[in-house]
Amino acid sequence: MIRFIKFLIRISSFISKELKEIFRQPKLILTLVLGPFLIMFLFGLANPDQGRTLRTTFVVADPNSFQEEIDTFTKSFSSLLVSYVIESDKELALAKLAKNQTDMVIIVPDIPFETIQKNQQAEFLVYHNEIDPFQIGYIISVARIYVDEINRQFLQSVVEREQGESGSLQSDLETAIIKTQTLRQAIPTDNANTAARAAALEKDLTNLHEKLITFRSLASGVLVRPFSAKVSGLSDIQLTVIGFFAPAVIVLLLQHFSITFASLSIVRETRSGIMELFRVAPITAFETLVGKYLSYLFFEIILAGIITALAVWLLKIPILGQLQDYALAVIILLFTSLGVGFLISLISETDTQAVQYSMLLLLASIFFSGFFLDLRLMKEPIAFLAWSLPATYGIRMLKDIMLRGSSVPPLIFLGITLIGIALFMIDWLLLRKKMENQYA
Amino acid sequence: MENSLLSGNVVETQDLTKTFGEDIAVQSLNMQVPRGTIFGFVGPSGCGKTTTVRLLTGFYKPTSGSLSVLGKNPGDFLKTDSEKIGYLIQQFVLYPQLTVWENLNFAASFYGVGIFRRKHLHKLLDFVELRGDKHKLARDLSGGMKRRLSLAAALVHKPELLFLDEPTAGIDPILRQKFWDYFKELQAEGHSLFITTQYVGEAAFCDLVGVMYGGRLLMIETPNGLRRKAYGGDVIGIRTNENITFEHRQQLESLPFVRGKVKIVSDQEVEVIVDDAHTAVAFLLEWSQTQSLTVAMMEQKSPSFDDVFIRLIETEIEND
Repeated sequence: MIRFIKFLIRISSFISKELKEIFRQPKLILTLVLGPFLIMFLFGLANPDQGRTLRTTFVVADPNSFQEEIDTFTKSFSSLLVSYVIESDKELALAKLAKNQTDMVIIVPDIPFETIQKNQQAEFLVYHNEIDPFQIGYIISVARIYVDEINRQFLQSVVEREQGESGSLQSDLETAIIKTQTLRQAIPTDNANTAARAAALEKDLTNLHEKLITFRSLASGVLVRPFSAKVSGLSDIQLTVIGFFAPAVIVLLLQHFSITFASLSIVRETRSGIMELFRVAPITAFETLVGKYLSYLFFEIILAGIITALAVWLLKIPILGQLQDYALAVIILLFTSLGVGFLISLISETDTQAVQYSMLLLLASIFFSGFFLDLRLMKEPIAFLAWSLPATYGIRMLKDIMLRGSSVPPLIFLGITLIGIALFMIDWLLLRKKMENQYA
Repeated sequence: MENSLLSGNVVETQDLTKTFGEDIAVQSLNMQVPRGTIFGFVGPSGCGKTTTVRLLTGFYKPTSGSLSVLGKNPGDFLKTDSEKIGYLIQQFVLYPQLTVWENLNFAASFYGVGIFRRKHLHKLLDFVELRGDKHKLARDLSGGMKRRLSLAAALVHKPELLFLDEPTAGIDPILRQKFWDYFKELQAEGHSLFITTQYVGEAAFCDLVGVMYGGRLLMIETPNGLRRKAYGGDVIGIRTNENITFEHRQQLESLPFVRGKVKIVSDQEVEVIVDDAHTAVAFLLEWSQTQSLTVAMMEQKSPSFDDVFIRLIETEIEND
C-alpha cells in the first residue's frame, strides 16, 4: 500500500511539474488554442470552395466574325473564365502568356467547318504557363470542358438546322402516303399480291413519317446530349472545403503539438543534468514516463476540447457522430503521438535535433496521412508506411466520426492503440536504459 | 564490506578504480568514511572528485575494485536504499520555470515524501534562508540562492548520507561560511556528509579530509593531521629582540626535537618544525636564554590549508 502511495506521489511530481511549466507560458497556450482556429478561419476566408477562374485569350483569324460566338460561349463559363480577350496575333498572345498577363491562350482553328467536312477533327490548341501539376491538370480539365461545350453547341446547331429542313420532307412523306393509299385502293381485288405490296409500302411510309415527327419534336439539346448524371452522397450534409479539411487539420495539429512537447521534454532534462539526479533518486523510468504521459495528455485533452469547440461553434464544422467516439479517437491519437514524441526525445542529443525530427514527421504526415492525397491513390508499400503515422489513423477516425456520423472504426482504433502501446513499451525501455541500467 | 554498517562506516572502498578508455579518472581508491562525520574530499579541478562521487552514488560503475555505501553496492540499490541518500550535483539542475516552492515540492514528490509535508518544506526553506523567496522563479535567483535551493532539494527526504559535489563552488566567501554552518548543523542532526571542494581552506571545517590529486587519494587525515603531514611536525614561530644569526639557526637545527631546516621570516624571526609544539616551547625558551636572545613572541603557527595543500602536492610530485 505504502509503495503504491509512493508510486502515486512520484508520478504526481511530473504531472504537477510539466503542467506548471506549460501554464507558466500563457503566450504559448494562447498560440496553441487560437493558432489552429485562426488558420482554419483564414483558410475559410480564402474561399477555397470556388474553382480558380482563368484569364483567357482567344486567338482567331478574324476576330470580328467570332466575337458573338465567343461572347455567348463564355457566358456559360463565367465561373471558370473571369475575363477574356480576342486576339488575331498568336505570337502576341503567347508573349502575354509568358508575362503572366493571361492564364490560358486558346487558338481557334481557322477553317473548322471545312476541316470537319473533310472528315477530320478541327483542333483547338490550348497553351498555359503553369508548373504546378495540379494547376496543369485543372487547365486540361477546363480545356476538355471547353471543347465538349463547343462540340455540343456545334452538334446542336446541326440538329436544329436538320430539324428545320426536315419540315419539307415531312410534307413530302404525307403526300406520298396519300398517293400510296390512292394507289392501293385502285388495285383490282383479284390482284391480291400487288395490293399487299402497296399496303406494305404505305405502312413503311407511315412508320417513317412517325419517326420523322418524333425527330422533329425532340429538343435539340436532348438529342445531342441525351444522358446526364446526377451525383448524390449518402450523407445529406453539404460540406465546404474547410469543413472537409477541418478534421485532418485538427489531427495534424494535435499530433504535432504532442510530438513537439514530448520530444523536447526528456532531451532537455538530459541536457540540463537532472537525469543524473533521477538516476540516483528512488524514481523509476516507469514512474517518470507515466507522470509525463499523464501531464501532457491532461493538457492536450483540454487543448483539443477548446480547439474543437471553436471549430464547431465559430466555424460551423459538424460532428455528426457521437461525442464520446470523438473523445476516444482524440485521446488515443494523443497517446500515440506522445509515444512518438518521447521516442524522438530519447534518441535526440539536442533540442534542435528533436525539433528537426518533429518537423520531418509533420511533413511526412502532411504528405502521407491522407491529409490532401487520398490514401487509395498511394501505391502499396508507401500506403503501408502511411499507416505507421498516428495522423493517418486520426484523420480516418475523425473524418468518419465528424463527417459521416460513424462510430470509431474498430480496426483503425485497434491499429493505433497497438502502435501507441508498442511506443510506450519502447520509450519505457529506452528511458530505463538511460536512467537505471546505463552505467557509464 | 558487508560489515561496514556494523563497523560504523557509511562509505568504504577498496582499490576502487574508474577508467574512461585509456584515461584513469580514479585509481585504487581506498577509504572509509565513519558515520556522522563531515568528510571533505579536497583536490584541484579534474582530479577525480566528481567521478568518485558518481561512483559512490551509483551513477558510474567501477572499472575494478569494490565499494560499499550504507552497507551496499550502489549498483544494487533498491528504492529504499536510494531514499537514504541525498545528492547535490555541481551545477544547478532544477527547473528555471518553476518557483522555489514548486521545485522543492517536485523534489519532495520524486523522493516519495508524503503529501503532508508543508511544514517540513517550510522548515527547510527557513534552514537555507529562502522562505521569503519561495514564490520567486528559479531562473530569477542569484547563483548563491540556486545553490541553497539545490541543497534544500537534496535534504528534502531527510537522507542519512549526503553527497555534496562542490556545494560552495563559485559563491562568495560569506555565503561559503554560511554553507559550512549549514553543514555543521546537518551533522549535529545526525547526517553524514561527503563534501567535495576545490577550496582547500574549507578542509578546516571537516572532521576528515581526503586529498585527491591526479586520480589518486594521497591521504586521509584530520585537518591538523594534514598540517603535520605536510610539514613533518608542528610549526613554531620565534621572534626575538636581537638578530638571529646563522650560528643560532645551526644550533636550532641540531636540537633533537627540531625537524628539518629553520625557515627565516626576517632577521629577528624564524619558524621551526618540531615533533610536538606543547613540549617543544619550554625547551626553546630555555635555549633562547642560553643564547642571550630575548623572546618577544613564541607561538604555534597554523599554516593555511592552501600552503599545506601546495606542500603536500609538491612532496607528492617529488616522490613521483
